[in-house]
Amino acid sequence: MTQTRLPGGLIDRNQPLSFTFNGRKLQGYQGDTLASALMANDIRLVARSFKYHRPRGIFSAGSEEPNALLTLGEGADADPNTRATVVPLREGLVARSQNHAGPLGWDLWSVNDLAAPFFAAGFYYKTFMWPRAFWEKLYEPAIRRAAGLGALSQLPDPETYDKGFLHCDLLVIGGGAAGLSAALTAGRAGANVILADEDLRLGGRLLAESDPLDDAPAADWVARAEAELRALPNVRVMPRTTVFGVYDHGVYGAVEQVSDLPGAALRQTLWRITAKRAVMATGATERHIPFRDNDRPGILLAGAMRAYANRWAVAPARGKVAIFTNNDDGHRTALDLQAKGVDLLGVIDSRTGARPFGDYPIFAGGRVTGTSGRRGLRAIRLAWNGREEELACAALGVSGGWNPNIQLASHHRGRPQWDAARLAFLAQGGPEGLIPAGAAAGEGSTHHALTSGHHAAADALRQLGLTTPAPALPRAEDRQGGAEAFWHVPGKGRAWVDFQNDVTVKDIKLAHQENMRSVEHLKRWTTLGMATDQGKTSNVTALAVMAELTGRSIPETGTTIFRPPYTPVSLSVLGGGDTGAHFRPTRLTPTHAWAKAQGALFVEAGQWMRAQYFPRPGETHWRQSVDREVLAVRAGVGLCDVTTLGKIDVQGADAGEFLNRIYANMMGTLAVGKVRYGLMLREDGFAYDDGTCARLGESHYVVTTTTSNAGLVLRTMEFARQCLWPDLDVTLISTTDAWAQIAVAGPNARRLLSRVVDGFDLSNETFPFMACAELTVAKGCPARLFRISFSGELAYEIAVPARYGQALMDRLMREGADLGVTPYGTEALSVLRIEKGHAAGAELNGQTTALMLGLGRMVSQKKDSIGAVMSRREGLAQDTRRLVGLQAVDPARPLPAGSHLFREGAARDTATDQGWITSACYSPHVGGHIALGFLEEGDTRLGEIVIAANPLQGTEAACRVVPAQFVDPEGGRLRD
Amino acid sequence: MLIPHPLLGPRDAQEFTYLGDAALLNRPDPASGTAAFCDYVYLRDNPAGTHRELWYHEYGDRSWLLVTRDTLSHEILDVRLAREVKTGGTA
Amino acid sequence: MTDLIPMAALGATPVRASFGPLTLTEEEGLTLVSLALPVGFDASVTEVPLPGPGGYAIGTTSVFWTGPNQWMIETRDLDATSRALAPLPDARTTVQSDGWVSFRITSEAGAAPLLDLVTKLVNLPADQLAPGRATRTLLHHLGCFVLRRSETEMAVLTLRSAAGSLWYVLSGAAARIAAQEAT
Repeated sequence: MTQTRLPGGLIDRNQPLSFTFNGRKLQGYQGDTLASALMANDIRLVARSFKYHRPRGIFSAGSEEPNALLTLGEGADADPNTRATVVPLREGLVARSQNHAGPLGWDLWSVNDLAAPFFAAGFYYKTFMWPRAFWEKLYEPAIRRAAGLGALSQLPDPETYDKGFLHCDLLVIGGGAAGLSAALTAGRAGANVILADEDLRLGGRLLAESDPLDDAPAADWVARAEAELRALPNVRVMPRTTVFGVYDHGVYGAVEQVSDLPGAALRQTLWRITAKRAVMATGATERHIPFRDNDRPGILLAGAMRAYANRWAVAPARGKVAIFTNNDDGHRTALDLQAKGVDLLGVIDSRTGARPFGDYPIFAGGRVTGTSGRRGLRAIRLAWNGREEELACAALGVSGGWNPNIQLASHHRGRPQWDAARLAFLAQGGPEGLIPAGAAAGEGSTHHALTSGHHAAADALRQLGLTTPAPALPRAEDRQGGAEAFWHVPGKGRAWVDFQNDVTVKDIKLAHQENMRSVEHLKRWTTLGMATDQGKTSNVTALAVMAELTGRSIPETGTTIFRPPYTPVSLSVLGGGDTGAHFRPTRLTPTHAWAKAQGALFVEAGQWMRAQYFPRPGETHWRQSVDREVLAVRAGVGLCDVTTLGKIDVQGADAGEFLNRIYANMMGTLAVGKVRYGLMLREDGFAYDDGTCARLGESHYVVTTTTSNAGLVLRTMEFARQCLWPDLDVTLISTTDAWAQIAVAGPNARRLLSRVVDGFDLSNETFPFMACAELTVAKGCPARLFRISFSGELAYEIAVPARYGQALMDRLMREGADLGVTPYGTEALSVLRIEKGHAAGAELNGQTTALMLGLGRMVSQKKDSIGAVMSRREGLAQDTRRLVGLQAVDPARPLPAGSHLFREGAARDTATDQGWITSACYSPHVGGHIALGFLEEGDTRLGEIVIAANPLQGTEAACRVVPAQFVDPEGGRLRD
Repeated sequence: MLIPHPLLGPRDAQEFTYLGDAALLNRPDPASGTAAFCDYVYLRDNPAGTHRELWYHEYGDRSWLLVTRDTLSHEILDVRLAREVKTGGTA
Repeated sequence: MTDLIPMAALGATPVRASFGPLTLTEEEGLTLVSLALPVGFDASVTEVPLPGPGGYAIGTTSVFWTGPNQWMIETRDLDATSRALAPLPDARTTVQSDGWVSFRITSEAGAAPLLDLVTKLVNLPADQLAPGRATRTLLHHLGCFVLRRSETEMAVLTLRSAAGSLWYVLSGAAARIAAQEAT
């Protein structure tokens, strides 16, 4: 044979495609995979192995491929570790080999192979232990450089990914004979069916075989079945969709490869499929038989060789081809290759009584004991009839029997069970609703696959209460495998079991010598089956070798189970396309665009983006802006968007009683038109949120929460309403987003507001501190007004429907120009409240109590409320730490939040720890750094100097204990 | 996981917030003192097997549900509205 | 009427964009009112339809179920709705028009593009997406109402403050569907 391309096949010779491999320009056809096209160009060496850098070739024809991992594309689009066997060839495809230094043919790291005796399993564990410090700095980086797979581009993935959700009655996983049969049965019955197959083309092994269906090529039947399925409105056909994992209650994860083209509208979709039932028609994977030097390019799985010949019309090499088998299936490969004109050396069959199925040499009872050929197979050593000889051979197909693909069935810890007759593990105790069929159920012949697919669908239909139509299946071959156990060829040298992780029979022996008797230990110590292919072609063989070593049976030896994903899934698609700024949603306040136009900087507060401060021309440091904003509030009037505070509408006849039980303090007695500060405790007695509660009507309250706890407070209130006191007549509605709320704070606040309200009397007498009202502003805009103050100044919060928020802000800015109106952000808001000694998130951190906050008397003794009983328990009631103000002795010296407080001269350790600083800032009002903190007996230590120590950064600062209110401790301003 | 909501049918667990042991429905009488509350707040069952637990349909209808679930197999044996369990007096 | 100039959720005017067969429009002029009734209410005294769980009564005034004993009313005539609710003495209503943004999605090519879109957005089975169904669910980590008004029209509502994020997700998914259909 002078070329490897054969006649026939399911390729389109009218559509030639150009691609490159390691810079070489090559040609293939539409319908080729990258692997078949490489083979058609007689390229056998495509990769270097993980550890020993052994030359490697294409080993399989499917997703189980352990060797042919290539990097596709260039630059940011480079996609490493892609299995050449599952990549459809396309025009302009750029493929490169990976994991070698220098050219692929002369890999410098292949010295590892010469040093192989040192690199056996467990070598790293034993060798690089000492000296300890060398591991991180020297050994590990060097080992990592030499070992491994492809390299990432280190650039952001430029492609587009997506996610989606599907629901169906029956998910059929696999579109081969069994899967098509199941989908047809269920589709004809009217069930909602999803048929997913990892391949570009439906048909599975039917495309790889020469056997007819109903006396016609199998591909014809596949095409008719696909056409029928696609015409059914209740069936969704999804080629190139890999179901990679099984999750609880019939939820399946799948990735659909939508396009391979760089820059396509969509590359992959991550599907979450909820299926009432599923058929696991995932087929089977052929296993090999380890023998000495069995990893050379040109040695393939025999079934893969057959697939290449029949589907892709390509021979594995120019020259003679031999088959090494322990079963009849190997002979099918021989017959099909012969039919395509391949020069057959013969079939080496480990079974002594084996007979040929056609006109070719057979070596019954023979075995392959070695190979030669540096960068590709040149010859094999054959032991047969008591003698050994070397025979020239360009390619060898190996068939050790078939392993049902039962991975998905063990994703819920279903333990596979050994079937001694079939020499295979079968699914057992898999996830509920997942029914194996076809080769995945050990039913290898086409006839059995078709029938079992139908039966699996019928089972599912019966469970779903649907009627099964009569089967209409084509006539198909019904051969039996006839395998006899033959797991490896004993002898000297290295016989590979796991190609991807470079694990040999010797390594398994060594593990056994080192007393790794459990399969789990074997796996972890040798790393067998732990590569990206999860040992699809190696696990069972390794178990059998281990069983032989220990003299136990395979079931006694046990088996490992599989985890998702069935095949590797990219992190990009798991992200579902939401990256960068869109990684999660953001919420914008009604004045966001206005603040942006003012040049505000923004800060994330949960999902919200809030204006942090508004720098003005000439301000070069954030502190300048913040100090200016703070002083402007204290001297004139400031405006701050406080929409982000949670707002919960509480209505119902028992609303007051309900709120009494939610808040530590009494709320039911609040008069209509009044606001009260409220503190919420957890049931364990600790404080968790605070805010205000306004009574707008007899049975209508509005509760505000902190920005970050809005969801939690609603959840807790719903729990109280539904689970604790369902007898109370109360309903809750979150209205956070409905109202744009603006704080108007400062001595000029009343004057400013009086210019926008519609004839509303804002005088202290009519509308005093802690009053609230519904009114209109700006000639008829509905509004709510609350006279509350976070800054300690005369202040209001005014709320209008969100759509008017920005216009109101504009109006207030314009109307307040002569009053020194200044917008302020969250930084100034924080300084203002620290100066006033108001608790916020840092003080309400879930570890503090009302008592510590100086609010102990707020916890009503007259009523029950959440947390009331536990707040009175000994440990909490006796806590002597109290919220205090701290003023830096050296005003220029910051008091970092998180610092711990110590007496002067005391040791800095936990035994002498006196408390900690919760919040700190520079106070333009005080003219120095100040802080809030909790201090042991702080309420009795005013005037004392304590040390704020930050041992992590080695800083210390002396500070004076002062009342928490740095501003207007009598509260005159806010009541003015 | 899918939670079979008694009003809305099977809904993805991502819509729910998990709280834990359904014993939280049985808040002690406030007069019963701290010992009873300590048990209520801190002592929860965490069985390997059948467990009655509270789930909140936060991204749904905001119902609190009492779900009986096998924590080993994740099989869901029963789901009821917590409010109905409470007013039915069977918690 | 007030001289304050109202804003749409994403700017001065409501957004609208078409992607192949799909058109996305920010709805305007709808008044949303949440309604809660105490246990044991008498539904027969009001003209306002009060659909059961997941239900969506579509009319000049539409009502969808939001939770046990809770509904959301979509109306263009608040006064008429108030009158219709008057016979329910214990009705608790809260005007929510500004709490939500509503994006209407219409298809010019039948239901298929609409279902393709919704399949990429929310994890709901087909029966919960049928015309006359309304469901609150998660969409891009946001709580959203998904309303199916007819074979070719639906609406997605979320918190007004998250309008930008929802628009990003809806328009992005619609654009990908249009691009795929074009290929």
